[in-house]
Amino acid sequence: MSFLKVIGVSKYWGGNKALENITFSMDSNILAIFGPNGAGKTTLLNIIAGIINPTKGEIYYNERNITKLKPWERVRLGISKTFQIVRPFRTLTVEENILLFSKIRENVNPEEVMKITGLFDFRYKYPDQLPFGYLKRLEIAKVLSANPEILLLDEPFGGLNSEEIKELLDVFIKLKTNGKKLIIIEHKISSLLDIAENVIFLDRGKKIFEGSIKKFLEFENIKEYYFGGIGNA
Amino acid sequence: MNLGYLKSKGFILSLLIILITVILSFVINSPYLTLSFLISDIFIIMAVGWDFSSGTTNYINFGISFFFGIGALFTGFFYYSFHLTIPLLITQAFLISSFSGFLITIVTLKVRGVFFTLLSLLLPLIGTDFILAFWTVLKMPTIGYYGLPSLSNSLQISLIYISIFLIVIITLIYALYSGHIGLILKGIGDDEEAMNAQGINTFWYKVLIFSISMGIVGIAGSLYAFSTSFAGIDTFGLEFLLFPMIIAIFGGKGKILGSIPAGYIIIILSQYLQLYVGQLTLISFAAFAIILFLFFPKGISRWFS
Repeated sequence: MSFLKVIGVSKYWGGNKALENITFSMDSNILAIFGPNGAGKTTLLNIIAGIINPTKGEIYYNERNITKLKPWERVRLGISKTFQIVRPFRTLTVEENILLFSKIRENVNPEEVMKITGLFDFRYKYPDQLPFGYLKRLEIAKVLSANPEILLLDEPFGGLNSEEIKELLDVFIKLKTNGKKLIIIEHKISSLLDIAENVIFLDRGKKIFEGSIKKFLEFENIKEYYFGGIGNA
Repeated sequence: MNLGYLKSKGFILSLLIILITVILSFVINSPYLTLSFLISDIFIIMAVGWDFSSGTTNYINFGISFFFGIGALFTGFFYYSFHLTIPLLITQAFLISSFSGFLITIVTLKVRGVFFTLLSLLLPLIGTDFILAFWTVLKMPTIGYYGLPSLSNSLQISLIYISIFLIVIITLIYALYSGHIGLILKGIGDDEEAMNAQGINTFWYKVLIFSISMGIVGIAGSLYAFSTSFAGIDTFGLEFLLFPMIIAIFGGKGKILGSIPAGYIIIILSQYLQLYVGQLTLISFAAFAIILFLFFPKGISRWFS
Protein backbone atom coordinates (compact mmCIF):
# COMPACT_ATOMS: atom_id res chain seq x y z
CA MET A 1 0.00 0.00 0.00
CA SER A 2 1.25 3.49 -0.82
CA PHE A 3 1.55 5.60 2.31
CA LEU A 4 2.38 8.79 0.43
CA LYS A 5 0.58 9.90 -2.71
CA VAL A 6 1.29 13.02 -4.71
CA ILE A 7 -1.52 13.65 -7.18
CA GLY A 8 -1.33 16.17 -10.02
CA VAL A 9 0.86 18.64 -8.18
CA SER A 10 1.82 21.80 -10.04
CA LYS A 11 3.54 24.92 -8.82
CA TYR A 12 3.68 28.18 -10.78
CA TRP A 13 5.74 31.17 -9.76
CA GLY A 14 4.04 33.85 -11.83
CA GLY A 15 4.34 32.58 -15.39
CA ASN A 16 7.18 30.21 -14.52
CA LYS A 17 6.19 26.55 -14.16
CA ALA A 18 8.36 25.11 -11.37
CA LEU A 19 6.40 21.84 -11.30
CA GLU A 20 3.84 20.53 -13.72
CA ASN A 21 1.32 17.83 -12.97
CA ILE A 22 3.54 15.59 -10.86
CA THR A 23 1.93 12.34 -9.73
CA PHE A 24 3.58 9.47 -7.88
CA SER A 25 3.07 7.06 -5.00
CA MET A 26 5.71 6.02 -2.53
CA ASP A 27 5.70 2.39 -1.53
CA SER A 28 9.41 1.72 -1.13
CA ASN A 29 11.72 2.44 1.77
CA ILE A 30 14.10 4.74 -0.06
CA LEU A 31 12.94 6.89 -2.95
CA ALA A 32 15.53 8.99 -4.75
CA ILE A 33 14.45 12.06 -6.69
CA PHE A 34 17.08 13.07 -9.22
CA GLY A 35 17.29 15.87 -11.66
CA PRO A 36 19.55 18.67 -12.83
CA ASN A 37 19.55 22.12 -11.23
CA GLY A 38 16.20 23.85 -11.63
CA ALA A 39 14.33 20.57 -12.13
CA GLY A 40 11.93 21.35 -9.27
CA LYS A 41 13.26 18.81 -6.77
CA THR A 42 13.39 21.13 -3.76
CA THR A 43 10.04 22.68 -4.70
CA LEU A 44 8.46 19.22 -4.72
CA LEU A 45 9.96 18.35 -1.33
CA ASN A 46 8.85 21.68 0.12
CA ILE A 47 5.32 21.02 -1.11
CA ILE A 48 5.28 17.57 0.52
CA ALA A 49 6.59 19.13 3.75
CA GLY A 50 4.00 21.93 3.60
CA ILE A 51 6.58 24.72 3.45
CA ILE A 52 5.06 25.95 0.20
CA ASN A 53 1.56 25.36 -1.13
CA PRO A 54 0.97 23.79 -4.54
CA THR A 55 -0.86 25.80 -7.19
CA LYS A 56 -2.76 22.63 -8.09
CA GLY A 57 -2.86 19.06 -6.88
CA GLU A 58 -3.14 17.15 -3.63
CA ILE A 59 -0.96 15.23 -1.20
CA TYR A 60 -2.23 12.19 0.69
CA TYR A 61 -0.49 10.59 3.64
CA ASN A 62 -1.89 7.29 4.90
CA GLU A 63 -5.08 8.01 2.91
CA ARG A 64 -5.48 11.42 4.60
CA ASN A 65 -5.48 14.59 2.51
CA ILE A 66 -2.72 16.73 4.02
CA THR A 67 -2.54 19.38 1.28
CA LYS A 68 -3.81 22.17 3.54
CA LEU A 69 -1.89 21.19 6.67
CA LYS A 70 0.86 23.44 8.01
CA PRO A 71 4.45 22.12 8.18
CA TRP A 72 4.36 21.55 11.95
CA GLU A 73 1.08 19.62 11.60
CA ARG A 74 2.70 17.34 9.01
CA VAL A 75 5.66 16.75 11.35
CA ARG A 76 3.19 15.60 13.99
CA LEU A 77 1.78 13.13 11.47
CA GLY A 78 5.29 11.83 10.79
CA ILE A 79 6.69 13.78 7.82
CA SER A 80 9.85 15.80 8.50
CA LYS A 81 12.21 17.61 6.17
CA THR A 82 15.83 18.71 6.35
CA PHE A 83 17.04 21.92 4.76
CA GLN A 84 19.38 21.95 1.79
CA ILE A 85 21.42 24.71 3.42
CA VAL A 86 21.85 23.61 7.03
CA ARG A 87 19.92 25.63 9.59
CA PRO A 88 21.11 24.60 13.04
CA PHE A 89 20.03 26.61 16.08
CA ARG A 90 23.33 28.31 16.76
CA THR A 91 22.72 29.33 20.37
CA LEU A 92 21.95 25.72 21.31
CA THR A 93 24.37 22.85 21.75
CA VAL A 94 24.13 19.75 19.57
CA GLU A 95 22.24 17.95 22.33
CA GLU A 96 19.84 20.88 22.81
CA ASN A 97 19.21 21.09 19.06
CA ILE A 98 18.03 17.49 19.27
CA LEU A 99 16.15 17.84 22.57
CA LEU A 100 14.15 20.72 21.10
CA PHE A 101 12.13 18.41 18.85
CA SER A 102 12.21 15.26 20.97
CA LYS A 103 8.75 15.73 22.50
CA ILE A 104 6.81 16.43 19.33
CA ARG A 105 5.38 12.99 18.61
CA GLU A 106 6.53 10.76 21.41
CA ASN A 107 9.50 10.97 23.71
CA VAL A 108 12.58 10.13 21.72
CA ASN A 109 15.85 9.27 23.43
CA PRO A 110 18.25 12.01 22.26
CA GLU A 111 21.25 9.82 23.06
CA GLU A 112 20.02 7.20 20.62
CA VAL A 113 19.59 9.85 17.91
CA MET A 114 23.09 11.17 18.56
CA LYS A 115 24.52 7.66 18.41
CA ILE A 116 22.78 6.82 15.12
CA THR A 117 24.00 10.05 13.54
CA GLY A 118 27.49 9.86 15.05
CA LEU A 119 27.09 13.08 17.02
CA PHE A 120 27.37 11.68 20.53
CA ASP A 121 30.95 12.83 21.04
CA PHE A 122 29.98 16.36 19.98
CA ARG A 123 26.91 16.63 22.20
CA TYR A 124 28.14 19.65 24.18
CA LYS A 125 29.54 21.51 21.17
CA TYR A 126 27.79 24.42 19.51
CA PRO A 127 27.05 24.22 15.76
CA ASP A 128 29.71 26.81 14.98
CA GLN A 129 32.29 24.42 16.48
CA LEU A 130 31.35 21.52 14.17
CA PRO A 131 32.93 20.58 10.81
CA PHE A 132 30.54 21.00 7.86
CA GLY A 133 29.94 17.26 7.47
CA TYR A 134 28.70 17.08 11.05
CA LEU A 135 26.37 20.02 10.50
CA LYS A 136 24.72 17.89 7.79
CA ARG A 137 24.39 15.10 10.35
CA LEU A 138 22.93 17.54 12.86
CA GLU A 139 20.33 18.59 10.30
CA ILE A 140 19.30 14.92 9.99
CA ALA A 141 19.45 14.40 13.77
CA LYS A 142 17.08 17.35 14.37
CA VAL A 143 14.55 15.79 12.04
CA LEU A 144 15.04 12.31 13.51
CA SER A 145 14.41 13.58 17.02
CA ALA A 146 10.77 14.20 16.05
CA ASN A 147 10.55 10.45 15.34
CA PRO A 148 9.24 10.80 11.77
CA GLU A 149 7.97 7.97 9.62
CA ILE A 150 9.15 9.68 6.45
CA LEU A 151 12.30 11.79 6.24
CA LEU A 152 12.53 14.24 3.37
CA LEU A 153 16.22 14.86 2.78
CA ASP A 154 17.12 17.82 0.60
CA GLU A 155 20.52 17.29 -1.06
CA PRO A 156 22.12 15.77 2.03
CA PHE A 157 25.45 15.23 0.28
CA GLY A 158 25.90 18.82 -0.91
CA GLY A 159 29.36 20.09 0.04
CA LEU A 160 30.55 16.75 1.45
CA ASN A 161 33.67 14.84 0.35
CA SER A 162 33.52 11.17 -0.68
CA GLU A 163 34.46 9.93 2.81
CA GLU A 164 31.74 12.02 4.44
CA ILE A 165 29.20 10.84 1.84
CA LYS A 166 30.08 7.24 2.65
CA GLU A 167 29.58 7.87 6.37
CA LEU A 168 26.24 9.54 5.74
CA LEU A 169 25.13 6.64 3.54
CA ASP A 170 25.82 4.32 6.49
CA VAL A 171 23.51 6.53 8.57
CA PHE A 172 20.77 6.20 5.93
CA ILE A 173 21.15 2.41 5.91
CA LYS A 174 20.77 2.39 9.71
CA LEU A 175 17.63 4.51 9.41
CA LYS A 176 16.18 2.14 6.82
CA THR A 177 16.95 -0.79 9.13
CA ASN A 178 15.07 1.07 11.89
CA GLY A 179 11.99 1.23 9.66
CA LYS A 180 12.24 4.82 8.48
CA LYS A 181 11.20 5.76 4.94
CA LEU A 182 13.44 8.19 3.12
CA ILE A 183 12.83 10.51 0.19
CA ILE A 184 16.20 11.84 -0.86
CA ILE A 185 16.65 14.48 -3.50
CA GLU A 186 20.10 14.67 -4.91
CA HIS A 187 21.98 16.17 -7.79
CA LYS A 188 24.72 13.54 -7.67
CA ILE A 189 23.09 10.35 -8.97
CA SER A 190 26.08 8.08 -8.29
CA SER A 191 25.94 8.67 -4.54
CA LEU A 192 22.53 7.04 -4.14
CA LEU A 193 22.68 4.15 -6.59
CA ASP A 194 23.58 1.62 -3.90
CA ILE A 195 20.75 2.40 -1.49
CA ALA A 196 17.81 3.80 -3.48
CA GLU A 197 15.03 1.35 -4.28
CA ASN A 198 12.91 3.54 -6.53
CA VAL A 199 13.76 6.61 -8.54
CA ILE A 200 11.90 9.60 -9.90
CA PHE A 201 13.69 11.79 -12.40
CA LEU A 202 12.58 15.37 -12.92
CA ASP A 203 13.58 17.90 -15.51
CA ARG A 204 12.26 21.47 -15.82
CA GLY A 205 9.35 20.67 -13.54
CA LYS A 206 8.22 17.53 -15.37
CA LYS A 207 8.47 13.90 -14.36
CA ILE A 208 10.65 12.18 -16.94
CA PHE A 209 11.07 8.78 -15.29
CA GLU A 210 9.60 6.75 -12.43
CA GLY A 211 10.58 3.20 -11.59
CA SER A 212 13.03 0.88 -9.90
CA ILE A 213 16.71 1.66 -9.67
CA LYS A 214 17.41 -1.23 -12.05
CA LYS A 215 15.14 0.22 -14.73
CA PHE A 216 16.59 3.65 -14.11
CA LEU A 217 20.08 2.42 -14.86
CA GLU A 218 18.78 1.06 -18.15
CA PHE A 219 17.08 4.36 -18.97
CA GLU A 220 19.20 5.62 -21.82
CA ASN A 221 17.68 9.12 -22.03
CA ILE A 222 19.13 9.95 -18.65
CA LYS A 223 22.51 10.60 -20.20
CA GLU A 224 21.00 13.40 -22.22
CA TYR A 225 20.12 15.26 -19.06
CA TYR A 226 23.53 14.99 -17.50
CA PHE A 227 26.62 15.86 -19.45
CA GLY A 228 29.01 12.95 -19.19
CA GLY A 229 26.40 10.35 -18.24
CA ILE A 230 25.45 8.67 -14.97
CA GLY A 231 28.92 7.71 -13.90
CA ASN A 232 30.10 11.29 -13.78
CA ALA A 233 26.90 12.81 -12.52
CA MET B 1 12.40 19.55 36.46
CA ASN B 2 16.16 20.02 36.10
CA LEU B 3 17.33 22.11 39.05
CA GLY B 4 20.97 22.18 37.98
CA TYR B 5 20.66 25.89 37.15
CA LEU B 6 20.38 26.63 40.88
CA LYS B 7 24.06 25.69 41.18
CA SER B 8 25.20 27.74 38.20
CA LYS B 9 27.77 30.46 38.89
CA GLY B 10 25.63 33.15 37.29
CA PHE B 11 22.62 32.31 39.45
CA ILE B 12 24.62 32.16 42.70
CA LEU B 13 26.36 35.42 41.84
CA SER B 14 22.97 37.04 41.17
CA LEU B 15 21.72 36.04 44.61
CA LEU B 16 24.96 37.29 46.13
CA ILE B 17 24.63 40.71 44.49
CA ILE B 18 21.04 41.08 45.71
CA LEU B 19 22.14 40.06 49.22
CA ILE B 20 24.99 42.59 49.16
CA THR B 21 22.57 45.42 48.32
CA VAL B 22 20.42 44.49 51.33
CA ILE B 23 23.47 44.32 53.62
CA LEU B 24 24.80 47.64 52.27
CA SER B 25 21.48 49.35 52.96
CA PHE B 26 21.82 48.39 56.63
CA VAL B 27 25.56 49.11 56.89
CA ILE B 28 25.55 52.50 55.15
CA ASN B 29 22.08 53.36 56.47
CA SER B 30 21.38 55.99 53.81
CA PRO B 31 17.68 56.30 52.91
CA TYR B 32 18.64 57.56 49.45
CA LEU B 33 20.86 54.56 48.77
CA THR B 34 18.21 52.15 50.13
CA LEU B 35 15.55 53.79 47.93
CA SER B 36 17.93 53.54 44.97
CA PHE B 37 18.38 49.80 45.59
CA LEU B 38 14.64 49.38 45.95
CA ILE B 39 13.90 51.22 42.69
CA SER B 40 16.71 49.22 41.04
CA ASP B 41 15.06 45.95 42.12
CA ILE B 42 11.75 47.05 40.59
CA PHE B 43 13.41 48.02 37.31
CA ILE B 44 15.37 44.75 37.31
CA ILE B 45 12.08 42.81 37.65
CA MET B 46 10.79 44.71 34.62
CA ALA B 47 14.03 44.19 32.69
CA VAL B 48 14.05 40.45 33.44
CA GLY B 49 10.38 40.22 32.40
CA TRP B 50 11.12 42.04 29.14
CA ASP B 51 14.30 40.09 28.45
CA PHE B 52 12.58 36.75 29.05
CA SER B 53 10.27 37.34 26.09
CA SER B 54 11.76 40.04 23.83
CA GLY B 55 15.45 39.47 24.56
CA THR B 56 15.33 35.76 23.85
CA THR B 57 12.94 35.72 20.89
CA ASN B 58 14.07 38.97 19.20
CA TYR B 59 10.47 40.21 19.11
CA ILE B 60 11.26 43.68 20.42
CA ASN B 61 8.32 44.83 22.51
CA PHE B 62 7.96 48.59 23.04
CA GLY B 63 4.79 48.31 25.08
CA ILE B 64 5.98 47.36 28.55
CA SER B 65 5.26 50.71 30.20
CA PHE B 66 1.58 50.01 29.49
CA PHE B 67 1.66 46.77 31.48
CA PHE B 68 3.68 48.44 34.23
CA GLY B 69 1.05 51.21 34.36
CA ILE B 70 -1.78 48.69 34.45
CA GLY B 71 -0.11 46.85 37.34
CA ALA B 72 0.24 50.09 39.29
CA LEU B 73 -3.14 51.64 38.40
CA PHE B 74 -5.19 48.55 39.18
CA THR B 75 -3.31 48.19 42.46
CA GLY B 76 -4.61 51.65 43.37
CA PHE B 77 -8.09 50.88 42.08
CA PHE B 78 -8.47 47.57 43.93
CA TYR B 79 -6.96 48.98 47.11
CA TYR B 80 -9.42 51.89 47.29
CA SER B 81 -12.45 50.10 45.86
CA PHE B 82 -12.21 46.69 47.50
CA HIS B 83 -9.59 47.13 50.26
CA LEU B 84 -7.68 44.07 49.09
CA THR B 85 -4.60 42.95 51.02
CA ILE B 86 -1.11 43.51 49.59
CA PRO B 87 -0.60 39.88 48.45
CA LEU B 88 -3.97 39.95 46.66
CA LEU B 89 -3.15 43.31 45.10
CA ILE B 90 0.12 41.94 43.72
CA THR B 91 -1.69 38.83 42.46
CA GLN B 92 -4.33 40.89 40.64
CA ALA B 93 -1.57 43.01 39.06
CA PHE B 94 0.00 39.85 37.65
CA LEU B 95 -3.32 38.46 36.40
CA ILE B 96 -4.62 41.67 34.82
CA SER B 97 -1.28 42.50 33.16
CA SER B 98 -0.95 38.91 31.91
CA PHE B 99 -4.46 38.96 30.50
CA SER B 100 -3.83 42.34 28.83
CA GLY B 101 -0.57 40.91 27.49
CA PHE B 102 -2.46 37.92 26.14
CA LEU B 103 -5.07 40.09 24.39
CA ILE B 104 -2.44 42.33 22.82
CA THR B 105 0.01 39.62 21.81
CA ILE B 106 -2.54 37.39 20.08
CA VAL B 107 -2.84 40.32 17.65
CA THR B 108 0.74 41.62 17.55
CA LEU B 109 2.44 38.22 17.34
CA LYS B 110 0.73 37.53 14.02
CA VAL B 111 3.42 39.76 12.50
CA ARG B 112 7.19 39.86 12.86
CA GLY B 113 10.13 42.24 12.94
CA VAL B 114 9.50 45.94 12.66
CA PHE B 115 5.73 45.38 12.24
CA PHE B 116 5.57 43.63 15.61
CA THR B 117 7.61 46.39 17.25
CA LEU B 118 5.33 49.09 15.82
CA LEU B 119 2.16 47.25 16.86
CA SER B 120 3.60 46.56 20.31
CA LEU B 121 3.95 50.34 20.71
CA LEU B 122 0.68 51.39 19.06
CA LEU B 123 -1.76 48.99 20.71
CA PRO B 124 -0.64 49.87 24.27
CA LEU B 125 -0.91 53.58 23.36
CA ILE B 126 -4.50 52.96 22.30
CA GLY B 127 -4.96 50.86 25.46
CA THR B 128 -3.70 53.73 27.64
CA ASP B 129 -6.16 56.16 26.04
CA PHE B 130 -8.93 53.62 26.45
CA ILE B 131 -8.16 53.17 30.16
CA LEU B 132 -8.05 56.95 30.67
CA ALA B 133 -11.40 57.34 28.93
CA PHE B 134 -12.85 54.47 30.94
CA TRP B 135 -11.56 55.98 34.20
CA THR B 136 -13.07 59.38 33.25
CA VAL B 137 -16.48 57.90 32.41
CA LEU B 138 -16.56 56.01 35.71
CA LYS B 139 -15.47 59.21 37.49
CA MET B 140 -12.37 57.55 38.91
CA PRO B 141 -9.17 59.54 39.61
CA THR B 142 -7.28 59.73 36.31
CA ILE B 143 -4.31 61.56 37.85
CA GLY B 144 -3.79 58.71 40.24
CA TYR B 145 -4.26 57.13 43.62
CA TYR B 146 -2.28 58.64 46.48
CA GLY B 147 -1.58 57.24 49.92
CA LEU B 148 -1.22 53.59 48.98
CA PRO B 149 0.18 51.41 51.77
CA SER B 150 3.90 50.68 51.91
CA LEU B 151 5.18 47.14 52.14
CA SER B 152 6.67 48.17 55.50
CA ASN B 153 7.14 51.35 57.54
CA SER B 154 10.89 50.78 57.31
CA LEU B 155 12.47 51.40 53.90
CA GLN B 156 15.08 48.73 54.63
CA ILE B 157 12.41 46.11 55.44
CA SER B 158 10.59 47.10 52.22
CA LEU B 159 13.87 46.49 50.39
CA ILE B 160 14.05 43.01 51.92
CA TYR B 161 10.51 42.21 50.74
CA ILE B 162 11.19 43.47 47.23
CA SER B 163 14.52 41.62 47.13
CA ILE B 164 12.65 38.42 48.03
CA PHE B 165 10.20 39.12 45.18
CA LEU B 166 13.11 39.66 42.81
CA ILE B 167 14.76 36.39 43.89
CA VAL B 168 11.51 34.43 43.51
CA ILE B 169 10.87 35.92 40.07
CA ILE B 170 14.38 35.31 38.72
CA THR B 171 14.30 31.77 40.14
CA LEU B 172 11.02 31.02 38.36
CA ILE B 173 12.09 32.68 35.11
CA TYR B 174 15.46 31.00 35.19
CA ALA B 175 13.75 27.66 35.84
CA LEU B 176 11.63 28.17 32.74
CA TYR B 177 14.60 29.46 30.78
CA SER B 178 16.71 26.44 31.73
CA GLY B 179 14.02 23.96 30.70
CA HIS B 180 12.30 23.01 27.46
CA ILE B 181 10.59 26.42 27.19
CA GLY B 182 14.03 28.03 27.23
CA LEU B 183 15.14 25.87 24.30
CA ILE B 184 12.05 26.90 22.37
CA LEU B 185 12.64 30.58 23.14
CA LYS B 186 16.24 30.39 21.96
CA GLY B 187 15.15 28.43 18.90
CA ILE B 188 12.60 31.16 18.03
CA GLY B 189 15.34 33.76 18.44
CA ASP B 190 17.69 31.78 16.17
CA ASP B 191 15.40 30.71 13.33
CA GLU B 192 11.65 30.69 13.88
CA GLU B 193 10.86 29.56 10.34
CA ALA B 194 12.97 26.44 10.84
CA MET B 195 11.20 25.77 14.15
CA ASN B 196 7.79 25.79 12.44
CA ALA B 197 9.04 23.79 9.45
CA GLN B 198 10.53 21.15 11.74
CA GLY B 199 7.52 20.60 13.94
CA ILE B 200 7.01 23.30 16.56
CA ASN B 201 4.03 25.64 16.31
CA THR B 202 5.71 28.67 17.85
CA PHE B 203 2.69 31.00 18.01
CA TRP B 204 1.11 29.79 21.25
CA TYR B 205 4.49 29.44 22.94
CA LYS B 206 5.15 33.10 22.14
CA VAL B 207 1.72 34.15 23.41
CA LEU B 208 2.32 32.19 26.64
CA ILE B 209 5.78 33.66 27.20
CA PHE B 210 4.73 37.22 26.44
CA SER B 211 1.70 36.90 28.73
CA ILE B 212 3.91 35.67 31.60
CA SER B 213 6.45 38.42 30.88
CA MET B 214 3.85 41.16 30.91
CA GLY B 215 2.41 39.70 34.12
CA ILE B 216 5.85 40.06 35.70
CA VAL B 217 6.06 43.66 34.49
CA GLY B 218 2.63 44.18 36.10
CA ILE B 219 4.00 42.89 39.42
CA ALA B 220 6.80 45.45 39.11
CA GLY B 221 4.12 48.14 38.61
CA SER B 222 2.30 47.02 41.73
CA LEU B 223 5.52 46.98 43.78
CA TYR B 224 6.32 50.46 42.48
CA ALA B 225 2.90 51.68 43.65
CA PHE B 226 3.60 50.37 47.16
CA SER B 227 7.11 51.83 47.17
CA THR B 228 6.06 55.33 46.12
CA SER B 229 2.54 55.18 47.68
CA PHE B 230 1.25 56.40 44.32
CA ALA B 231 -0.30 54.83 41.24
CA GLY B 232 -1.50 56.88 38.32
CA ILE B 233 -1.14 57.89 34.73
CA ASP B 234 2.53 58.82 35.27
CA THR B 235 3.32 55.12 35.65
CA PHE B 236 2.57 54.67 31.93
CA GLY B 237 5.50 57.05 31.16
CA LEU B 238 8.41 56.65 28.79
CA GLU B 239 11.03 56.08 31.51
CA PHE B 240 9.30 52.80 32.38
CA LEU B 241 9.93 51.67 28.83
CA LEU B 242 13.47 52.96 28.31
CA PHE B 243 15.17 52.00 31.57
CA PRO B 244 14.18 48.30 31.59
CA MET B 245 15.22 47.95 27.93
CA ILE B 246 18.57 49.67 28.53
CA ILE B 247 19.15 47.45 31.59
CA ALA B 248 18.31 44.26 29.68
CA ILE B 249 20.48 45.22 26.70
CA PHE B 250 23.40 46.35 28.88
CA GLY B 251 23.03 43.10 30.85
CA GLY B 252 23.24 41.12 27.60
CA LYS B 253 20.07 40.64 25.55
CA GLY B 254 18.53 37.24 26.17
CA LYS B 255 20.85 36.44 29.08
CA ILE B 256 18.27 37.07 31.85
CA LEU B 257 20.70 37.24 34.81
CA GLY B 258 22.86 39.99 33.26
CA SER B 259 20.03 42.42 34.06
CA ILE B 260 20.82 42.16 37.77
CA PRO B 261 24.25 43.85 37.89
CA ALA B 262 23.25 46.06 34.94
CA GLY B 263 20.13 47.22 36.79
CA TYR B 264 22.03 48.30 39.90
CA ILE B 265 24.70 50.10 37.86
CA ILE B 266 22.23 51.98 35.65
CA ILE B 267 19.57 52.92 38.18
CA ILE B 268 21.96 53.94 40.95
CA LEU B 269 23.98 55.95 38.45
CA SER B 270 20.85 57.72 37.15
CA GLN B 271 19.59 58.34 40.71
CA TYR B 272 22.90 59.95 41.71
CA LEU B 273 23.13 61.86 38.44
CA GLN B 274 19.75 63.31 39.27
CA LEU B 275 21.04 64.28 42.69
CA TYR B 276 24.17 66.03 41.45
CA VAL B 277 23.48 67.30 37.93
CA GLY B 278 19.75 67.95 38.23
CA GLN B 279 18.32 69.03 34.88
CA LEU B 280 21.27 67.61 32.98
CA THR B 281 20.41 64.08 34.17
CA LEU B 282 18.91 62.97 30.88
CA ILE B 283 21.78 64.29 28.76
CA SER B 284 24.40 62.85 31.13
CA PHE B 285 22.61 59.54 31.23
CA ALA B 286 22.24 59.39 27.44
CA ALA B 287 25.99 60.06 27.08
CA PHE B 288 26.73 57.34 29.61
CA ALA B 289 24.39 54.89 27.83
CA ILE B 290 26.12 55.59 24.49
CA ILE B 291 29.54 54.92 26.05
CA LEU B 292 28.25 51.69 27.61
CA PHE B 293 26.89 50.39 24.33
CA LEU B 294 30.04 51.39 22.45
CA PHE B 295 32.36 49.60 24.86
CA PHE B 296 30.03 46.72 25.79
CA PRO B 297 28.02 46.01 22.61
CA LYS B 298 27.15 42.51 23.80
CA GLY B 299 26.46 43.60 27.36
CA ILE B 300 28.22 42.59 30.52
CA SER B 301 26.83 39.08 30.82
CA ARG B 302 29.92 37.37 29.38
CA TRP B 303 31.82 38.43 32.52
CA PHE B 304 28.91 37.48 34.63
CA SER B 305 27.80 34.01 33.54
